[in-house]
Amino acid sequence: MAATASSPAQRPEVSSTQEARTGASPPQGAGGEPPQRTPFLLDFYPLEDAHHTRISRFFDELRAGRFVTTWCPRDQKLLWPPRVVCPDCHGEDLSWKELPRSGHLYAFSAVLAGAPLGMESQVPFVVGLVELQGVPLRIFSRIAPATYDRLEIGDPVELETYPVPGDRVFFRFRPTSPR
Amino acid sequence: MSGRRVALVGGGLSVFGVRAATWGELVQEAGRALFARLPELAGKDVDSLFVGAAQPERFAFQSHVAPLAAELLGLRPWKVVQRTELACASGQSAIRSAYAAIAAGLSDVAVAVGVEKMNLPSMAEANTSMADVLDRPWDGVQGATAPPFFAMCAQRHMKEFGTTPEQMARVSLKNHAFANSNPTAQFYEKRFTLEKLQKLPMVAPPLRLGDCSSMTDGAGAVLLVGEELARRYTDTPAWIAGTAQSTDFHNLANLPSLTEWGALRRAGQELYRTSGLGPGDIDFAELHDCFTISEIIEYEDLGFCPKGSGGRFIEEGESELGGRVPVNPRGGLLGCGHPLGATGIAQAVEVLDQFQSRVPPARRVAGAEVAMVHNLSGSANVHSLMLYRRGN
Ligand SMILES: [Zn+2]
Repeated sequence: MAATASSPAQRPEVSSTQEARTGASPPQGAGGEPPQRTPFLLDFYPLEDAHHTRISRFFDELRAGRFVTTWCPRDQKLLWPPRVVCPDCHGEDLSWKELPRSGHLYAFSAVLAGAPLGMESQVPFVVGLVELQGVPLRIFSRIAPATYDRLEIGDPVELETYPVPGDRVFFRFRPTSPR
Repeated sequence: MSGRRVALVGGGLSVFGVRAATWGELVQEAGRALFARLPELAGKDVDSLFVGAAQPERFAFQSHVAPLAAELLGLRPWKVVQRTELACASGQSAIRSAYAAIAAGLSDVAVAVGVEKMNLPSMAEANTSMADVLDRPWDGVQGATAPPFFAMCAQRHMKEFGTTPEQMARVSLKNHAFANSNPTAQFYEKRFTLEKLQKLPMVAPPLRLGDCSSMTDGAGAVLLVGEELARRYTDTPAWIAGTAQSTDFHNLANLPSLTEWGALRRAGQELYRTSGLGPGDIDFAELHDCFTISEIIEYEDLGFCPKGSGGRFIEEGESELGGRVPVNPRGGLLGCGHPLGATGIAQAVEVLDQFQSRVPPARRVAGAEVAMVHNLSGSANVHSLMLYRRGN
């Protein structure tokens, strides 16, 4: 019988018990400091390993210094953030495509007050929409290190990665021509 | 508009502000105000209850809030009882859902409550909840809350159209001035000048404190009924004359524009098409001024003025009483505060109060017959609209 839209072509990993999921290494600070356990419902960072997400490849690549996302060959379209199903054609046969690490500031601001839990110590911090070089994608990101008053729309930025407690990794963009 | 006509016949509000009151106490205050205004209303007649609440789980550590609100109001709804959640538009969602249920014949008498308790002992925790409105693992994690997002909209609008910080401050000045005649407003009797507003501290540049609505505690309740029941409660109902909603995607990478809100444009066109009315027919509008720049972009995308000229629209007084379209006579979110779930309800109460001439002259839109209510939610990617017509 032909596969229908409602029957997944690829059966995802399914654990029969919750214990199988807790095999992931416990949260630990990147610098070897004592484990820092942010309650899950106050932790902004996603769980990145293959026990918790089907796009763990994104984080594995990021750890290796590559910035990637999913690509739908049928629609010839980049999908951000990485998806397991194309929202346009609902196909599952997506491939990974490397994204440029450089771009420029399309818009930006700074958080001077009202930061969420865990970000208060970083205030003031700059955030912005980064237009990636040569691909039609504007990604929202922390811009650091940066001072709001010294930035202008169009300034070049470059991707960098940083460690996150719990053996995780994330990305931000750094201005490349400091004023 | 087809189907059975639906009337808004009564409303009540708690005082908005930083309140020494719990989520449930705010609900009770709003309910008391509704029942006080409608002596003909008995709790046993209310067949449906819709509770607009954005984040009771995170702000009040409470879910399954619709039956809780029913208990607090002494209601035992037997047709529909549910919560509606659409972030900043949760209150209007409650009204739209009640409207749909009544128009379809499922409900006859429905209460829509909106409530939010946002001032917590730790405001960092409250801000964490605000940061999960956007796409949390991708945008929220980077520090995306409402102020920096709308600041980017302002930055681009200034660059593309020459909008100025002073024009933005004028939106705040207008709405705070209106709030001075509204005793339920968070900034009731707080006076501001253009100079003072432009010297307030920056929150997310170019937005200053006066450009941003507040974290507010508050609640509101309204009664909606089928057309044949309207006269039981009032001689001057507000008839729902239209409603529309439109959506863009959620992740900030997938927003088409920061300065032209396509979903608002589409919702506006749908509202005008289905009601047979146009921007020129709107006697006043309650627009979602979560930030000053929001109101400026809304003038444009609702067709009150051409794209890019929203700054001049406020500067030339076109959104003041006597202007082309008076906007936010209630005091707006800037002047009243913005308890997420309660805002849409409070805007509807203002419409009814205006139609029934219950507001003081300082904010009365004389002879108002048609009013628009607008809420945006999230990164301005969802826009919800209602149109009301005064009944005689
Ligand atoms: Zn596709």
